[in-house]
Amino acid sequence: MEYLKYTPEMARDWKNAINSLDGYIEKRVWDSMNESQLVSKLWLVEEMLNLNMKPINISLLAGWFAQYIVPLLYDNFESIESIENFEMDRNIKSLAYKFNTRYKKDDKYKIRIKNIMFANMLGKTERHDTVINCSCEHMYPMSRFRELENAGMDNNEALYILQSSNDTQYDDHINCVKSADELAEQAKLVEIMYAGERLLPNGMTRFMVIGR
Amino acid sequence: MAENTILCVKWGDKYGNEYVERLKEQVEKNCSVPYNFYCLTDNPTQPYHLKLPTTWNEYENGNFWAYRKFHMFAEKTVNKRHGPYRTDLEGDHFLYLDLDVIIQQDLKYFFELDMERPYIVKGWWNDIEVCKKNFVNYQSPMINSSVIRWDRGQMKEIYKHVSKNLDVLFFTYPTIDNYLNHFFYDMYEEDETLNFLNVFSEGDIYSWYKGNVFPDDMEPKKRREECKICLFNNSGEDNDTEELKSLWNT
Repeated sequence: MEYLKYTPEMARDWKNAINSLDGYIEKRVWDSMNESQLVSKLWLVEEMLNLNMKPINISLLAGWFAQYIVPLLYDNFESIESIENFEMDRNIKSLAYKFNTRYKKDDKYKIRIKNIMFANMLGKTERHDTVINCSCEHMYPMSRFRELENAGMDNNEALYILQSSNDTQYDDHINCVKSADELAEQAKLVEIMYAGERLLPNGMTRFMVIGR
Repeated sequence: MAENTILCVKWGDKYGNEYVERLKEQVEKNCSVPYNFYCLTDNPTQPYHLKLPTTWNEYENGNFWAYRKFHMFAEKTVNKRHGPYRTDLEGDHFLYLDLDVIIQQDLKYFFELDMERPYIVKGWWNDIEVCKKNFVNYQSPMINSSVIRWDRGQMKEIYKHVSKNLDVLFFTYPTIDNYLNHFFYDMYEEDETLNFLNVFSEGDIYSWYKGNVFPDDMEPKKRREECKICLFNNSGEDNDTEELKSLWNT
């Protein structure tokens, strides 16, 4: 996967989003759009394609503005019916919708403000088959999330796609890892379909695991 | 025993016993209603000292600073036929004070508040935009646990939540103020009455190092006699304890 399709609809949404930038949020948006962010999302989609995955309902954990990953997923997987971004930062909500207005209008993209480490995030009748978390370094190990999930669901067979980093320079990177294996262990994955690492343009090593 | 209880928590060696003694003296001088006085401590030596439990210490990892304060919210329920609740702390109306405070006015005020919800310090000196910006990074909490006022039973929910989530809380939150800010006080909520925690009014409590009310009354290291309590909170860094001591006698 080498590129993101820049379509007229995307141009319209992104222009509206960027026009509304104000204060400190502007720097956050540019940080979320840097080269390394795109490389790691392209890598994720590439490995999903290599595994011939057919995701339907995706939960995106701590997806931030999600301006890269949502279109990348919809452009590459016809099977997807919905993507829901679970964020605890209320400040990102309106902007994250603006970047993806075209999907929101079709009811294909939602944002829910929630701390996913303290309660099962889905309602009793809600289901997801794929969980993507590209922000594992920002939170407690994913085993906790899986325990909460399994407690609220029968036969939870969701596939997990997890990324983390070895970059300890930021205070909010509270859970960096040194390898993909460590990331898989933290999540207590037992069926590993992919595990790898990649040196990003910003100098940090990114780790990714896909499994159950 | 009195219905009102004033307490502090002391552990480790950052503050010596003289800080507890000095706080007790300040309370004696500035509280016109009857009260019980307790200090929860890891090293009890005085009749008013209560031993802090050590049950959570195994989670200690350098994070979640000052978690021991939560022990004061523990309440043991016993057979209701013999009394509604029983705990080591006597009294029904509680006022917690950090050791590094200067009491400037009668604490009776705090026992006369409407207690529909428990109270905590809102950092009126904070720029809310900075608090919002740093919320997700577990920094710049809008609230401050240096002074807490609650009635018996009101903080049980917080104690239970902490007890149930020890591993993830100790791992995630650098201070209890960040934790309380994430779960029990929503700074985005326009109707503050919907929050679990109430906050002391603007001008009741100010910060020696940060000011009183943002942005108009922010001069640091200024005595504001009209406020009831002065905090020496310094963002978790070492307080200038000599500065605090110099103000004890003024």
